[in-house]
Amino acid sequence: MTRRHCLAALGALPLSALRAEPAGLTPLDEQAFRQMVAANRGKVLLVDFWATWCAPCREEMPKLLSLRVTHAKQNFSLVTISCDEPEQERGAEAFLEKQSAPFPRYIKRPKDDDAFINSIDPKWSGALPALFLFDRSGHLEAKFIGESATASIDAAIKKAIAEAG
Amino acid sequence: MKHWLTALILILGAGLLLPAQQFTVGSTVTDFELKQLDGKPASFSTLKGNVTVVIFISVQCPVSNSYNQRMIALYRDYSPKGVKFIFVNANHTEPAAAVEEHARQHNFEFAVFKDENNVVADEFGATVTPETYVIDSSGTLRYHGSIDNSQNESRVTSLRLREALDAVLAGKQPPQTETKAFGCSIKRAPRT
Repeated sequence: MTRRHCLAALGALPLSALRAEPAGLTPLDEQAFRQMVAANRGKVLLVDFWATWCAPCREEMPKLLSLRVTHAKQNFSLVTISCDEPEQERGAEAFLEKQSAPFPRYIKRPKDDDAFINSIDPKWSGALPALFLFDRSGHLEAKFIGESATASIDAAIKKAIAEAG
Repeated sequence: MKHWLTALILILGAGLLLPAQQFTVGSTVTDFELKQLDGKPASFSTLKGNVTVVIFISVQCPVSNSYNQRMIALYRDYSPKGVKFIFVNANHTEPAAAVEEHARQHNFEFAVFKDENNVVADEFGATVTPETYVIDSSGTLRYHGSIDNSQNESRVTSLRLREALDAVLAGKQPPQTETKAFGCSIKRAPRT
């Protein structure tokens, strides 16, 4: 196949097929969460727990994605973790796709939900939306439970970035 | 003297910043006041029973609504056993008229009360809907958490609230006294 044929074939593929990242939602339990935070060491990491049934979460998502763009060159990473039930997973996937949320996109799938929540923060009831901000060492720096002002979230991100120097 | 005054001001100031939660598992639930949907007051002391369940619910929350039939079943099963239910709507975004309409649409057989300015939700430390509390005959809070462990009824493996109620009715310790309540955040009134 010539280069021209290759390009023509690629042109026929849907955009999603050209992505290097895996499509769909990646299931995540306590261990996978720890691994994900560890894999993001060196970056300021904002973890967004959300669900399709959570209206404030849906409203917040574009604002978080905007913060991701704002801090894109400052070693900042945004990870989304859906708290949807299995039958809501397709809806969650479609919502993230529409929002052009970054990959990988996770979905919470622990064996024990209470143990999972406690492993992240024993003081967290599991209420959504819930944002957890980790510094570049992977330590929990700040959290935002419930509806939060974007300016406050941005200020916490800036502080974490500044602290890292 | 000046230092003492400064310390006192700081302590009082810090106290104002502390959450207003008073009722934790093992503590005594003191009297609190709610509003009936017609605006008339209703107090815990007149609504309580030998065993009392307080459940924070919502009109709009899909998680809370997925429990409507389960809450009706709980009410039907445990009311004959002397359990009193206090269903509370603490969302400032959901006025009494909307709560009344919602109760009518879903054929609630129980009364729902408004918690204006989420004073009672603050006292219980309730953050989501649905979120439940079981209080025994002595007024001691014996269980706090979710109704069961899955929004989807077909995947429920732990009937947490029923197990707590059965235990408290039998004068025993609930198998779990604290579980994570999951659902939509309670929409609290803006602080002035």
